Amino acid sequence: MKLEVVRARAERFGGIVEVARPRALLHVDREMMRELGQPPSALWDSPAPADAPLVAPTEVHLVLSRRCAAGCTGCYVDATPQGPALSLEQARLVLDELAAMGVFHVALGGGEALELDYLFEVAAHARSVGITPNLTTSGLGLGAPQAARCRVFGQINVSVDGVGEGYRSARGFDGFAHAERALRLLRAVKQEVGVNCVVSRSSFDGLEEVARLVRTLRLNELELLRFKPVGRGARLDQELTPDQARRIYPLARRLMLRHRIRVKLDCSFAPMVFWHRPSARAAAFWGVQGCVAGDVLAAVAPEGDLLGCSFAGPAEADARVPGAIRAAWPGGFSSFRGFVRSAPEPCKSCEYLRLCRGGCRAVAAAHGAFSAPDPGCPRVQEWTARSAAEQKADTFALPVVRG
Amino acid sequence: MLFRKGRVLRATFGCNPNSSSLGVDVTFLLFGATFASALALVLGSLLHRPPDP
Repeated sequence: MKLEVVRARAERFGGIVEVARPRALLHVDREMMRELGQPPSALWDSPAPADAPLVAPTEVHLVLSRRCAAGCTGCYVDATPQGPALSLEQARLVLDELAAMGVFHVALGGGEALELDYLFEVAAHARSVGITPNLTTSGLGLGAPQAARCRVFGQINVSVDGVGEGYRSARGFDGFAHAERALRLLRAVKQEVGVNCVVSRSSFDGLEEVARLVRTLRLNELELLRFKPVGRGARLDQELTPDQARRIYPLARRLMLRHRIRVKLDCSFAPMVFWHRPSARAAAFWGVQGCVAGDVLAAVAPEGDLLGCSFAGPAEADARVPGAIRAAWPGGFSSFRGFVRSAPEPCKSCEYLRLCRGGCRAVAAAHGAFSAPDPGCPRVQEWTARSAAEQKADTFALPVVRG
Repeated sequence: MLFRKGRVLRATFGCNPNSSSLGVDVTFLLFGATFASALALVLGSLLHRPPDP
């Protein structure tokens, strides 16, 4: 068996190589890059700083539009039926620039990307410049002919936040049957089809049913995405309770073992995972990280804004202007990249700080402080409670009587 | 080549179709650091450059 390198790019530590089967991105050191016959890079002339960002993101979320007819109650991009969209030409320009920078994957989404009649042209263009296009969709309105065209994508995930009534409760309309039909149609034409499930306070108890659906339909993954109070979902009463935050990682493991499915947790769940103290060395090897905005990840909004992440952060450039992404990347994204260096307690003393990076900035921003530790992190909650108790104890301390 | 001097430092499998980045693949995190080190060696030995066009 051999793993053939299909693409590679140099990094300060060495490089990132892409293999197609199994589909993987491998970070390798400089010596391995040389052994693989990659050309020498000027990046290797000096020692690699430990906290330097990647020379380009590995994946970019292309929010093609804020256009969607579904009107989900918690839509984080606040999509409407007439929302703005990147044009085909703009999307092509962005993809050309990302390809030149060495980006490996794009996640196409919205809005409902399938509502754009040029979606498949965008995907074909991504392929033509060497980028793997992946897609998230609600599946609403997907027919067999459209499903067949979806072979152009790498991974396709259909949003299913609950089964049956659980779906209606989470999304505000009864669309489960459509989502299930879309999953069956897609699975009939390709293997890389999975489910995205937003985990909120009210959808938490329905995860078992969603996992069962993934097994029944023989899908290749279940991705659990933490609810983020952004867009139309900008309310704090759907965030996980402290108890749910502690249980999500053991639950994900249980679902994986019980249903023999692949389960992934998105970057915003990192604090909930690290609270269980997994091996830091293993986590680093498997790329388990918290906020990677402006490093591994970037996003482009339909209005052209280049962002560190689709959920939060300032616009760094107008991505529709040729050369703007490349120019902004090296010195931008300081609001994300600076967290580890200036982390406040309890992140500062956390052994997982370099991996977790303080948790989710979007959640912190929703609570009023973009650069504060993630308030959903169990360690942060414990530290806050302890600090409050100590303060209270100080307040009620008996006066010392001398003499 | 069976053994190389170069090392695989990190491995992520699959593609991420989401707006948030892939944080944790629970499947792999079940295995500890020893398994990761062994797999790094195996992956390193299996990697090979594409044939020259």
